[in-house]
Amino acid sequence: MDTAVTDRSNRLSVTKLGGKMVADYWANVFTARERGEKVVWYNGSAVNPFFQAAGLVWCHGEAFSARLAAQHLEQPAQLAAQEYGYVGELCSYARTHLGCAVLTQNAGHANGTGIVGLPEQAELASRLPAPDFFVNAYAGCSTGQQWDDISFRVFGKEVPIFNVSLPFLWGNKPDAGYLIGEEWEQASRYVVGQLHELVRFIETMTGRPFDWDALRQNMAYIKQASQLRREAMALCAHAPTPATFWDWITSIAHINFLPASQELVDYFAAVKAEVEQRLAEGVPAVRDERYRVYFDGFMNWNKLGFLARKFAAHDVAVIAGRYTHQAFWQEPHLIDPENPITGMAQHYLLCPTNHGAKTIKHLVLRDCEQYGVDGIVFHSTRTCRAFTNPQHLIAKAAQRELGIASMFFEGDVADASFYKDEILESRLAAMLEGIDVRRARGGVVPV
Amino acid sequence: MTHYLGVDLGSTTAKTVIVNDTGRIVAAEVVQMGAVSRASLARAMTSALEAAGLDESEIAETIATGYGRRLVPGAGRTFTEITCHARGVAAMCPGTRLVIDIGGQDSKAILVDELGIVEDFAMNDRCASGTGRFFEVLARAIECDIGELADLALSGNRDLEVSSMCATFAETEIISLLARGERREDIAASVHRAVAARTLGLVAQVGRHTPVVMTGGVARNAASVHFVAQALDVPVSVPDTPQITGAFGAALLARESFRGHQIEADGQAGTHRAAPPPDCATCDPAHAGMDPGPDGRPLIPVRPR
Amino acid sequence: MSDRLTTALARLTEVAGDPDSYAQSWKQRTGGKVVGAFPMNFPAEVAHAAGALPVIIQENREPDTSGRNLLAEFYCGYTRNIADQAAKGRLDHYDGFFLADHCIQLLGAVDVLRFESPGKPLYFGQLETSLGDAWTPDAVKKKMQSFIDEMEAFTGGLITSEALRRSIALFNENRRLLRTLFEARRTGNARFSSAEMQVLVKSSMVMHKAEHTAALREILDAVGEVERDSRIRLHLSGHFCHAPKPELLAAIEECGAIVVDDDLYTGARYISTDVAADIDPVTAIADWYLKRDANFPCPTRVKHATDWEDRLIRSVDTSGAQGVIVLMVKFCEPHMLYYPQLRKQLTERGIPHLLIETEHEGVPVESVRTRVEALLERIRHTQLVSS
Repeated sequence: MDTAVTDRSNRLSVTKLGGKMVADYWANVFTARERGEKVVWYNGSAVNPFFQAAGLVWCHGEAFSARLAAQHLEQPAQLAAQEYGYVGELCSYARTHLGCAVLTQNAGHANGTGIVGLPEQAELASRLPAPDFFVNAYAGCSTGQQWDDISFRVFGKEVPIFNVSLPFLWGNKPDAGYLIGEEWEQASRYVVGQLHELVRFIETMTGRPFDWDALRQNMAYIKQASQLRREAMALCAHAPTPATFWDWITSIAHINFLPASQELVDYFAAVKAEVEQRLAEGVPAVRDERYRVYFDGFMNWNKLGFLARKFAAHDVAVIAGRYTHQAFWQEPHLIDPENPITGMAQHYLLCPTNHGAKTIKHLVLRDCEQYGVDGIVFHSTRTCRAFTNPQHLIAKAAQRELGIASMFFEGDVADASFYKDEILESRLAAMLEGIDVRRARGGVVPV
Repeated sequence: MTHYLGVDLGSTTAKTVIVNDTGRIVAAEVVQMGAVSRASLARAMTSALEAAGLDESEIAETIATGYGRRLVPGAGRTFTEITCHARGVAAMCPGTRLVIDIGGQDSKAILVDELGIVEDFAMNDRCASGTGRFFEVLARAIECDIGELADLALSGNRDLEVSSMCATFAETEIISLLARGERREDIAASVHRAVAARTLGLVAQVGRHTPVVMTGGVARNAASVHFVAQALDVPVSVPDTPQITGAFGAALLARESFRGHQIEADGQAGTHRAAPPPDCATCDPAHAGMDPGPDGRPLIPVRPR
Repeated sequence: MSDRLTTALARLTEVAGDPDSYAQSWKQRTGGKVVGAFPMNFPAEVAHAAGALPVIIQENREPDTSGRNLLAEFYCGYTRNIADQAAKGRLDHYDGFFLADHCIQLLGAVDVLRFESPGKPLYFGQLETSLGDAWTPDAVKKKMQSFIDEMEAFTGGLITSEALRRSIALFNENRRLLRTLFEARRTGNARFSSAEMQVLVKSSMVMHKAEHTAALREILDAVGEVERDSRIRLHLSGHFCHAPKPELLAAIEECGAIVVDDDLYTGARYISTDVAADIDPVTAIADWYLKRDANFPCPTRVKHATDWEDRLIRSVDTSGAQGVIVLMVKFCEPHMLYYPQLRKQLTERGIPHLLIETEHEGVPVESVRTRVEALLERIRHTQLVSS
């Protein structure tokens, strides 16, 4: 029950500066037409460095869905989607974004029998500029690939669309592992080929030769930004942690789709600096950190602040998560700024849902050990089966191999009606009690 | 004169309506049953005949609808409650385009054309989300009678989050709100708002056409009507006798069936319907034997078990 | 119905109802290997050419129990049931597993299986799903070759071009015979109920092909003609990866309808396309995969140039169906994503339609009846008004 008057969470203050960067980015997207710029719609993989190099305005659909949900403005889009015929169990990212697509497409054609009020329609519809073309580059989840095809159809199949195919890292062969094995090598080469085709497509769309220098420059910035981000994350192995999962969530937008620039590098330098400063001054991210947990699952965007406060209220520091730590240019050493394509191809393959359960288990347990985690909170994300696939297997493995407890709570990525607070409260309390008992038996006095 | 009988056999109530050859209601009964049973059904049919002063032999055709329609003896045919509600509302409130029926266990949004023919429909009957069940859960949790709910809800003003789709989990949300010291009025209003939001989703599937009429048991709850109207942002009418729209529609269909499906698409259609055509704003009862209630509206006597 | 037809149909019904027993007895009889193939695009001819029995793994009729804590609640009936079957050892009689489809839920379920049966050979050859790209045909051909290579490793034998050609011919013949029965139904032969038509297809998915073809010939010889009556004609659409329950099909028809055509997986889709017999078999199998989607667009593939809705409406026009029932597996994302496009077109064309969701456990018969009856009432009423 979130009635705590005192907010025991202490999120990084640099995120406020970061918030403005994101708002400016979207304002830029919304006004693209006024400047006569070309707009590309995409989802999933961070292919934006290509778009940026080509002088395009890029609009990440999922990101917009997440933003709407975080601002509690997702309702009109979701209603528009329901009206159009999308069943409520469909991936709510897709549903929200397709609702926006429907509203954008119908702008000016509102027929009055819609359930989304005309003023709301006009507001949302005017926000997302209709695309000049689509690029689909979605690893892991099959829905991701189909989603852009459907958006393409919602817009009457009138604008071009290009598909980058990203193989699933299933690991058929015994030599398969994280970043190793013949399948990894083959898949990397395949995607490199796909990205070259993408560049050719972009050249056709823009009517200009592709600016490879600009791409190299973009990737140099991104590599730097990512390194700083990873270094800052690593510092959270310290107890009490200077930053939490909720801080990394707040800076996903930056690493995932903000323009590659010195400003981006400076932002993550500031993040790292604040983390270091907190360490030096002994300032914790959670007032009384007594438990450290790992968060596996998609983010519940409707409940960002709410969840940050709730966990802190239980003295729980959520240190790391699969969504934040196994994604978003997370292996910067793979990027060679002089010749970035292979590193980019490989990162697109390293989507956190693009691995078999064995690899995901390896990554999650590795992080749990690195960050000294007491328990895992699994967000059983109602409309995201890609993320929930291996969760039960991982939970069992964590208990078996590391003696780490887990709990599952029910919620969703962008549809607030699936969140069940009572389940999170009671199961979290139970897990923490279990940790206390284990500690007492192990002779460890709860901090 | 020939007469026709419509029977709507719900899960706990049996509604019977007798119409005459012009389609005018001459008797309407609502009988509370424990569960669907032939005995209660027989009672409902008998009391309708008594109220109309008719003998069984004077009924030319019977049509049954509702959950228990297959149990009705002597029913020539059955029609779904979707078709019957649409027909009944179209006759009671001519020109209706959208019929919303929030029942105890299911909810329906029915798109109707000018002849009362179903154009499209959406149903929610796989879970309690957006059904009258939510109101039962609410009444139990805040400890009030179902009859008091409307007044409580209409006095609420705070918008509290009752977001769960699941009636069971909504109950725990309500309990948490009570524990937090929230007023029963505000909680009741918020639950009504949540049901209305689900209704909006259902309407989305068929389109928000107007005019809109709410029917079924929950339509007697003035607060639910108010919040649905608010969610849809259009006026919502309720027939004076929302409980019997299904049985009325069934009776009309019995009449049409007997007459060999003579449906005329021109202005003469009006003369085949209830005369005079009822108007929801000033609904003249036109039902024999109905006593007006305290607000002047006719009440259908509900016979206890 | 003649004795021969009754016997053959009974045999196929038995197999369709209990594929596990069939596979186990085939194994005992022949000593051969049984390949568990996951739906919907694995080229089973490859397994046949290697001398194995390819079985498209079916949803079973047991309530999900142990498997419930391996995959979350919100997965389609098929995938949850696969996880449950894996947990209970119901898939143990398969000697190996092959998968060509990339549906993320299916991957989750197969991964569960992989975890539960670590020693079993299991190969995922991800077929290209973006079908309109210039490089797709070559990529698909390579994948088909990989299936052949993996199958050879699995069975420990060589798969010759000749063996492939023979298997292709056999499978083509089986599809052709089934298409004859579907065409008969489409053009007015009401001999078989929709549940019986499904038995014909489902048994083909799990039986040794030659044995199934023999049974089909018996049926075709004795089928005769039953004239269609005046029941409302319906087209059933969708329901990917597994079969809708026979009770559901029966409930639909009991309301006063007759199913005259479908585009179900365990229906017209399974038999729609043959493999070319006159070209190199590997190329032919790759072409089959691409042509199959062109013949009947599948929402699990991405092909911008073709529209499922157009194909659906053509089917409805051809068969004279008066309405469409979309059978959607609850939680099936490809279907949920595409459905609004279908709905839009059906509405624009004035074709009455209904959406029914299905789950692994239970058919809510009364609820189905109410909805289907309302659809039929609407169709009849509209007919009367316009006549």
